[in-house]
Order: sequence, then structure tokens, then C-alpha cells
Amino acid sequence: MNAAKQRSARGSGTARGLQLHRFETPGGLRVTVAPRGRIPLVAVRLVLSSGAAVDPAGKEGLADFTMRLLRRGTAQRNAHDLDEAIEFVGASLGLFAGEDQVAVPLTTPAEHLPAMLGVLAELVRSPSFPDEEVRIERERSLGQFANDVDDPSLLADRALLKVAWAGHPYGHDVSGTRASVARFQREDAVRFHAAHFGPRPAHLFVVGAVDPAAVAAQVEEAFGSWSGGPGRSTEIPAPAGIGHAGKVVVVDRPEQTQSQVRVAGPAYRRGAPVQFAAQIVNVTLGAGFTSRLVREVRVKRGLSYGVGSSFDTLRAGGLFSVSSFTKVETTGQLLSVIRGEVDRMRARGPTPAEVEKAQRYLAGLFPLRTETNESLAAVLADMVLYGLGDDWLDRYRERVRAVTRAAAQEAAARYCFPEAPVTVVVGPAERLRPQLERLGPVEVLSADDVL
Amino acid sequence: MSPRKTKPGAELFPVHEARLPNGLRVRMVPDHDAPVVSLYTFFQVGSRNERPGITGISHLFEHMMFNGAERYGPKEFDEVLESNGGRSNAYTTHDVTVYYEDFAAEALDTVLDLESDRMRSLTIDDRSLRSEREVVKEERRLRVDNEPAGLMDEALHALAYQSHPYRWPVIGFMGDIEAIRREDCEAYFRTFYAPNNAVLWAAGDFDPDALVRRIRKAYGDIRPGPAAPRVVDAEPAQRGERRAELRHPSRAPSLLIGYRGPAVVHPDTLTLDVLQFILGVGEGSRLQRALVYDKRLAVNVGVDWSWRRDPGLFSFHLELQPDADVRAAEEALYAEIRKLAEEGVEPREVEKARNNLRAHLLREFTSNSGRAHALGTYEMFLGGWKKGFALPEAYGRIDAPAVQASARRWLDPTQRSVVTLVPEEART
Repeated sequence: MNAAKQRSARGSGTARGLQLHRFETPGGLRVTVAPRGRIPLVAVRLVLSSGAAVDPAGKEGLADFTMRLLRRGTAQRNAHDLDEAIEFVGASLGLFAGEDQVAVPLTTPAEHLPAMLGVLAELVRSPSFPDEEVRIERERSLGQFANDVDDPSLLADRALLKVAWAGHPYGHDVSGTRASVARFQREDAVRFHAAHFGPRPAHLFVVGAVDPAAVAAQVEEAFGSWSGGPGRSTEIPAPAGIGHAGKVVVVDRPEQTQSQVRVAGPAYRRGAPVQFAAQIVNVTLGAGFTSRLVREVRVKRGLSYGVGSSFDTLRAGGLFSVSSFTKVETTGQLLSVIRGEVDRMRARGPTPAEVEKAQRYLAGLFPLRTETNESLAAVLADMVLYGLGDDWLDRYRERVRAVTRAAAQEAAARYCFPEAPVTVVVGPAERLRPQLERLGPVEVLSADDVL
Repeated sequence: MSPRKTKPGAELFPVHEARLPNGLRVRMVPDHDAPVVSLYTFFQVGSRNERPGITGISHLFEHMMFNGAERYGPKEFDEVLESNGGRSNAYTTHDVTVYYEDFAAEALDTVLDLESDRMRSLTIDDRSLRSEREVVKEERRLRVDNEPAGLMDEALHALAYQSHPYRWPVIGFMGDIEAIRREDCEAYFRTFYAPNNAVLWAAGDFDPDALVRRIRKAYGDIRPGPAAPRVVDAEPAQRGERRAELRHPSRAPSLLIGYRGPAVVHPDTLTLDVLQFILGVGEGSRLQRALVYDKRLAVNVGVDWSWRRDPGLFSFHLELQPDADVRAAEEALYAEIRKLAEEGVEPREVEKARNNLRAHLLREFTSNSGRAHALGTYEMFLGGWKKGFALPEAYGRIDAPAVQASARRWLDPTQRSVVTLVPEEART
């Protein structure tokens, strides 16, 4: 254990008395321990800084597939014994792939933390990827696509990723496509693991009722001899705008009585300084139950049960999007209202009263984002992964409160579709076309083109 | 008067209690880790309190609760709350309706004002009813009409229940959502939204003595309502398997199979919790291993044993491989159930389920919102929140023979209802 690197960061205004203890293993695994609370449950999160964005061309979905196989066998144990080791004690272990990262979130009763750190180390250090398990997982993934077709909201989200990020490493869902998954072989997972796993690109977070010194010893036991891995993560190129700008892409689902709608334009990289002003714009336009969009779409017109906007930002870039749904007959009307509100926001930005309200909303709710051990571990991971800075928790509220109306107006002008956005609609193409043609050239895809 | 504080025994944290003269029950769980509070209001009403013709009124009414009252006008509830650094939502089930807010601690007085205002003097007018009706219709299109799992759930309840109000969906039928009148809503509010039919749970950064004074001030003058009419459970006995088929343009078939179970207060309820874990929770559970990994018939398996005030359903949801033989999948499920009923379970499986149930309970207790929600739910269903804290001990008394006996008793083939989703071409 490299004691020289150990330090504590004095806590924050959001979670009182939070202290972070940090150290590094000889192999380079960076560890953060945050003792808190009394409930004897501990959240652990291991994060590696490469995800679906580094899936090889034609092997989209490989990061996710590799992750799911970690639990299906290691050099020491088969899938059943691993499941039993984790689940018998009441722990739960997830295997997650995002665009910029893969992560293993683990929650365990405190008394089983040492054993669970051992299992976690085993999964990431020595997965065996048994042939039979690769075959089963591939079949299961392919079967999942068939079930996913029935979820219009999921289809819309995936179609948006595909068309808005067209040609970019972010332009596929983390689960890949039926065509790419069908090609997966054992060697693909072995190669992905060899190329991207190791302590050097990894961080480990431990949050809960723990003694940091004891955790340090347990981590040493489990991960002390782990070495290797790439020193830096693959550079993802910044996207050049969005794909299909100005077009309306319809995913044809002839039987649906309701359309799912997404409208999106380019946004900023995660962690960019504009994020605070942009969040003020987002809250005012489409977050919570009192946004302009909720008022115009749901309250005044009863067009939908839900409408919202969001900035989905990643290491190399982001999207600003509006999502909603409505009965097929009112799809054109819904899109007009959405576009009208975004245009109005772009032209004038939020009012001074709206800026103040959004600041209070964001600042007041911020402590809830780190309320559970799991959510704090995830935020601590994002702070590292996206370079948000050590003072992120401490200064978030102050930074939100410091946003001026002028800054919010500038963010609105920049992200509220100054160029034509891309529109995605999932529903019956034939009935939708007359309502959509005035919004831009209509391109029809089948669900198979998306999955 | 100070609220009564319970002695910490089996409890992981103290709960303070009070009862207002109008019948409102108040529960408080102070915690000073972060400057936030969660407030939950549980109303003992759900779709089981409805009748044909107004199905879905409990849920529609939940929407109406955000449309203004005497002091705070239409949509001001969320406006004021969000301006003060808070958020709110609500949900309706067959048995309960729950409203909740998470917010910065300094907004506590404002939130009590908002909540008590709508309990005292909700505005129910035709205009907001018209608007919310359209919103709820979209919600139904989202969750049921365009979602196979929603369609199947609706079909299962219609099949498993012939008389009991559980036979209709919580969201209601489209025709009923359209037909509900303002007068129906008014009668509903008077009966079910009275303080004597509610329990208030607060958890977070406050002083309980001060809070109970503030609650008395905010809610004390609200008049109690009449006793809620008894829900008659006239469900006739089931005398054999029931089957329904649902045709839908989906890619893959699926199965939803429900067995008639007991009401939550029945002693077997907790044994069925254990059985649910052994059969279907986790990658290493029996059905996951048999149907997903060994036989590879299913993509996902879910086992649901949701507590209900009246006899509920113990159900299995199998999302199948697109080319799976549905009959074979169904038979494979029954074979696993038979095996369990005939050969019993290993003591280690029971211990594993108990460990998981305990961890689940602890997980609920890791946030203010989780503490208020979990304990409030236990109070609603078990008749007292202390029974929630006592659950690990109660699960500890369940052994392998008890689990086997419960499987034999409740997973009886004559007591099941089977819904099959059959893929077919889209009809436009």
C-alpha cells in the first residue's frame, strides 16, 4: 500500500462530515473509502475507464457482453458457485457497461465485505469465459432483442442514439445489435478483457459503515497483487455535430396507438464549465413537474402523461433532447408544441424568476443525489471518471447559485437547437407521415434496423 | 404534548409516534446526516375500494390531488415545492395511495402547509378533471395498451378474480376513465382522504418535538371523515385451472401464470416471501438456473409475490426465447414447482433467502425516503410498523418444511390462471 498517497478530503455541505480516504495499491488501483452511516450495508463500486465506445467495429456490444460473462466463470469457480457465493450472504452484484466505462456495483452486508471484495477481485482478474457460457449468453442476448422490440420507449431511445450519433463510437446502444452479438466468440471477450482490464485504468470505491484501515487491509488482500492494464483510456473523438440533422426518422410500429417522440441536438462534454448554466435551462424547460414543457404539453393540453428534457453528456460530447409520447393522432401537435417551447427558450432564455427557482430546485435536491451509499459511490466514481474535481460535492450548490441570467441565456442560445435537430418517432409510419412531413424529410426504419 | 418515542429494541433507529384528535396518525424518524426531509402520506385506499363503472378513480384522483386547494391554487403544489428545493410524486396500488415529497429541510413548514391544504380543501372542478382524464388515458396507453406486460397483467387479473375488485386494473378501463364524474370524485375525497384514513411519515433532518407541534397546527382543524365502507370479498372458490390467450404483434411469446395466494395477514405470507426468493430471485435461483441457463427456454424469469390486503396472486412471468416452445416452457416451470413441492428445499436455500430478505430490509433503511416508505408500507399492510422491524426474526422462524408445505398448499395446479402471449402479425 502506498501510504504516501493516502490523504483525506474534508467533507461537504451536502453530506455532513463526509471524509474521503484515498490510497493506491502497488499495481496502481486507486481506492477511495468513504465511511458513513450506521446501517451495516456497504456499497462498493469498481470502475474501469473504457466502455462501449471502444467496442470494435462490427463487434458492437462487446464491452457489455464481456461484463456479463464475468460472473459466468473464473479460474477458481464456475457460474453456479459464484452466484452462490454472492447471493447466499444477501449481497448483490451488478455488471454494468456504459459508453465511457464499465462498472461493477456491489452491495453487501458489512460483515461479508472482505469475502465480497475477494469475489469482486476474482471476477475482474481471472474470468475464464467458458465456451458453453459464451454460447448461452449470446443466445440469451439475442432473445432479449426480440423482447426489446415490444418496448416502444426503449426503441425510441436506441433509435435516437443510432441516428444522432451516426458514425461516432457513441452511435450504438451498449448492448449492440442482433447482427453484432450473433458474431461474438469467446476470443472476443478474452481480447476485450486483456486490452481494457487491469488496476491502472481502475478505481475502487467503498462507502458505508466501515473502518478505512480495515478496508485498506482487505483491499490489499484482494487486489494487492493485481497489476497491468492500459495506462490511459482510448481517446474518443469529439463528434462533428449530430447525424440526421433536420430529418424525421420514424421507426415503424403499425399496431401502436401511441407514438414515442424524441427531439435532439448536440450538447457539451461531461464536466464542461457551461454545465451549471445549462442545467438551469434544462430545469426551466423540461425537468420536474413545473417546467414549461410540462405546463404546455401536460397541464394545458393533456397531450401526454410525461414530457421532459435532458442533457446526456459523455467524455467526448453530449446530446440535448426532449422526450415525450402521445396518442398517434396528436403526434404532430405534440412536436409543434415541443419545438415552439425550445425555440422560445433559445430566443430569450429563462426569466430572472425562473433562474432563481431552478437554482433553488437544483441546490435543494442535490443532497438527495448522494443519499444512499450506492448513489454516493456512483457520484464519487463520476467525479473521477469525468474529472469533475475533488470539490464537486462541496461546491455544486454554490456553483449553481452563481449562474447569472446572462449565462443561462447564453446556454439556451447555444443548446436549444440553434441548428435543426433530429426527430425520432416510434409509431405507425403510414398514419404519422402526413403529420410529420412539414417538420422535415421523413425517413422510415423498421425495428430491425434499430436493434 | 411530546410525541411518544419507542425504546430502541430490535429497531435500528427510533421512531416517534403521535395521534391527532381527528385521527391522523403521525410517525417521525429523525436523522441529521444531510439537510433533507422526506414526507410520506399514506391513504388507506386503492382500486379495491372501487366499483364497476368507476374503475381507475383511485388513480385518477391521485392526479386530481395536484390541482389546487383553498390556499394554494391549481398546480401551485409543485410550483411552491420545486421553488423551495423539493420534488413530489405519488402512486396508487390495489390497496393504498401514497403521496411523497423529498425536499431541503428548511422547506418543511411549507410542505406541511401544502399537504394539509389539499387534505383540508381540495378543489375538484370539471376543467381539471377533463385535463387529467386525458393525461391518464395517455398513461394507460403507455403502460397497458402499448405494453405487452401491461396487457398480460390486465388479462391475468380478469381471469383470476371473478368478483373481487382486484379483477380490474389499478389504472382502470378506458371507458370508465372517460365516464368518471366530478361528483364521483367529491364523494371519493370525503370518504377516503380524511385524516382518520391517513398516516403521515416524516424522515430526516428535524426535531420530532417541534415537528409534531407544527403538524398539529397544520392538520389539527381538518375534520375526520366517515368510516370507509367495508370491501366485501365475495370471491368464489376456484375449481380448476383457467386459461387465456392474448394475441399481440410481438416477436417473442411470454407467459404470466398466477396462483391464488393468501391475504397479507395470513401466516403463510412470510413463508411465500421465502419461497419467492428460492424460486426466482437472483441468478442462482431455481427457475433462473433451470429455465434460463439449463433449458434456455426463457430470457428472463420473474416471480412476484406482492402483499395484498385481500387474497393476492403468487405469479410467474416468463419472457421466452422467440423460438421457444411455449408449452414446453410452461411444463418446465411446473416441473420445477412439483419438484419443490415433492422433494422440499435445502435448509441452506432457506438461509440464503433469509439473508437476502434481511439485506433487502436494510437496503430500504439506507435513505430517509426508504425508511419512511418501508415502515409506512409495513404499517399499512401488517397493521403496525414495529412488525417491519421484527421481520428478520419472523423469517428466522421459517424452516424448510414450512416452505415445502406452503408450496404444496398455494402452488396447486387447480388454483392457477395462465395467460399466454401469442405473437402474431401486426394488424393496422
